[in-house]
Order: sequence, then structure tokens, then C-alpha cells
Amino acid sequence: MISSDVIRGYNDTMILYLLLDGDSYGYEISRNIREITGGRYIMKETTLYSAFTRLEKHGFITSYYGNATQGKRRTYYSVTDAGRTYYRSKCEEWELTKDVVNHFIRRDV
Amino acid sequence: METIKNYLDTMFQSLPDSPEVRRVKEDLLASMEDKYQELKEEGASENEAVGRVISEFGNIDELFSELGLSPEGTEEEPAEESILLSLEETRMYIHDAHREGRHVAFGVTLILFGASVLIFLAQLFEIRILGMGVPKPVREYMPVLSFFIFLVPAVGLFVNSGMKMDAYKFIDQGEFSLGKTTRQILGREALEIKDANRIYIVFGVLLCVISPVILFVAGMFGDTAAGYSICVMLIVIAAGVNLLILAGTREDAYKKLLQMDNYAQTHKRENRIIGAVASVVWPLTAAAFLIAGFCFGMWKTAWILFPVVGILFGAFSAACQAAAGKKE
Repeated sequence: MISSDVIRGYNDTMILYLLLDGDSYGYEISRNIREITGGRYIMKETTLYSAFTRLEKHGFITSYYGNATQGKRRTYYSVTDAGRTYYRSKCEEWELTKDVVNHFIRRDV
Repeated sequence: METIKNYLDTMFQSLPDSPEVRRVKEDLLASMEDKYQELKEEGASENEAVGRVISEFGNIDELFSELGLSPEGTEEEPAEESILLSLEETRMYIHDAHREGRHVAFGVTLILFGASVLIFLAQLFEIRILGMGVPKPVREYMPVLSFFIFLVPAVGLFVNSGMKMDAYKFIDQGEFSLGKTTRQILGREALEIKDANRIYIVFGVLLCVISPVILFVAGMFGDTAAGYSICVMLIVIAAGVNLLILAGTREDAYKKLLQMDNYAQTHKRENRIIGAVASVVWPLTAAAFLIAGFCFGMWKTAWILFPVVGILFGAFSAACQAAAGKKE
């Protein structure tokens, strides 16, 4: 089980990653996260939509109404240039974080 | 699927209805429905699917704070006072509502019984079984006086229980909230009550419906018998109405707490309209009844006003609610 405290800072990164290859909508993103992580991380609905709200406020993503498929009008999201820049910086931050924390990880305890 | 929608409605209940909120709610619903659909396709049962969707919903406060909203309402919309009711408080409310329901039922019984006595006495005077040698005005007013002897305590009961239930006005107006467990416990109880009430309602309606039969049967034995049968009919109606009121108040208390059916927030306006009309129509009916009686001596026939107005009023409130349903 992943502690949500630890992963909180990287929810945005996951969402942006999934938007890099094309626009997507809420459930597709949450399903992709579950599949990619082999079901080890399931992003809660409220976490996902909080992230959308936050990212849009910062101009990292934009949203638009998609065509109605199966009678449902979905909100689609696409990543902006600012979002790509932000994503790159988050990746660098993660590499650094991983390196730093790794210095304190011992498996022979 | 309905459960998911209700769950989301409950979560968003305390929020102002802004375009931003509506959009997030719509998106959340679409996403939850997608998940539900997929779980069902994977072979999950209804309960499993709904359970998973709700358990993976998360914490609504997280979303609210991101949206810059607090569940107490935003600044431009003054916070509607919402009282969190504990289980004990809801128990107290239900208990009081039942008690006052019994009082109202008793009051109605008194009035119908009073009307029955009125007609009975009038009948006795008319055929001169009673009151020989009594001056005419006494003969005329005695029955009416006896009616008032029943009417006065009944009105007292109505006013008293109205004042007592006034303390719970905020529940009628939906300005309260319930904890999750309280809601669940009450929801279970409401279902049990509904089952138990069915028999009350069936018998209550049955008594009211068959009561006129007494009139027809008695009519075959002549006018005098028909006159007395009105008295019997009123008592049968009283019994039926008693059952209906008892069942009604029991169920109403739960419906109000759980904001089910016509007590849901969206129906508040319609209930106000019906309430306003009721507060005009019924006193007018009572006034018409009294005028017809005192001025034209129509005590024996004017009571028909009550059932007729009752049916018309029932039709009106049904139409009101149907119109409201259509608007949604």
C-alpha cells in the first residue's frame, strides 16, 4: 500500500505524463494509472479532479468539452507548453529526490 | 447507478450551485459511471461495483479546498445555517413527531365525533324524541353547542402540537445535516416503518372508502335511518383518518430527516406553495361551514364541504408536485 502522503507531490506528474501523448478524460486517466501501476496505485476520484483544477489554474493544462460519446459529454484535457516545462522540472526533481533518499535506504536491516 | 448519483448529491448538498461546481460534479458523475460500467462488465455484482466506486471516491474536502470552496457556502451566498444532528437528537425528533401525530389524530377524532354528535342531536330534536317543551332557540343551538364542546379541545390540541413542533422547524426546512452512520441507521429503520405502515394505510383507506356504503345501506330503510347513518359514517371515517395520520406522521418524520421524496431540497418550494394554499383554503372551508350552519341552518348537509374540499385539495397538491417533477 502506498502512503498517499508520499505520492501526493507526484499525482500531477502522472496526469501530465498521460496527457503527453494525447488528450484524455477523467476516467481514462484514472484507468491508465491503475493499469500502468498494476493496480498498486488507484488514484481517488477527488484527488484526480483536485489535480485537474489545480493544473488548469496554473495553466499547465486546458480543458474542453468533447463530443458526446455514448450519450455522455466528457471534459477532455490537454497539456500546454507550460505544462510540458513543469513536467520536465518535476522529472528532474524526482531524480534528485530518488538519489537523495536512496542514500538512506538499506536492505540488510 | 442511482446509489452513486445519490451519494454524489449528498456530497455536494451543502455547496452553492455555481457553474464551476456543476461542471466538476458532472465530470465526477461521468467518471464514476464509467468505472461502475466497467466493473459490471468485468462481472462484478451491483453491490460490489457500487461499493468499489464509492470507496475509491476519496475525500470531498480535498476537492472543495482546491476549488476554493468551503462546504459552509461562499461569501457571496450567506452561509445557510446547517445543524449537524446526532442520532439521539433524531431519535428525540422522531419521538416528538410521533407523540404530536397522536395528538393531532386525537384532535381530528374529536372534531369528527363532535360533528357526529351534532347531527345525532339535531336528528333527535327534529323528530321530537328529545326536547319536547324546550324553546325553539335552545333546540336549534344545543347541537351546535355540543359540537363546540368537542371542537375547542381539538383546536387546543392542534395549536399546542403546532407550537411544540415549531422547535423543529429547521428540520422541515431542510436546514440540517446528518452524519453518515446516523443516515444509514435511519435509512434502515425507515424501510421497516414503511413495511409496518402498509397495513395501517390499507385499513385506513379501506375504512374511508367503505364508510359511504353505510349511508346507502341505511338509505334503504328510510330518511331517519339515513340521518343516523351519517353519525356512524363519521365515526368510521374518524377511525380511518386516525390510522392514516398515525402512519403518515411516522413515515413523515423519517422522510424529513432523510430528505426523501417530497422533502428533498428541490421540492422545498412546492411544499411552501401547498402549505400557503392550505393555510388559506382550510380556514375558509371552516368559515363557510359555520356560516352555512348558523345563517342557513344547513348543519346536516354543510359537512359535505370538508370531504369535497379535501379531495379538491388533494388533486391540487398532486398537480403541484407533478408540475414540479416535470420542471426537473
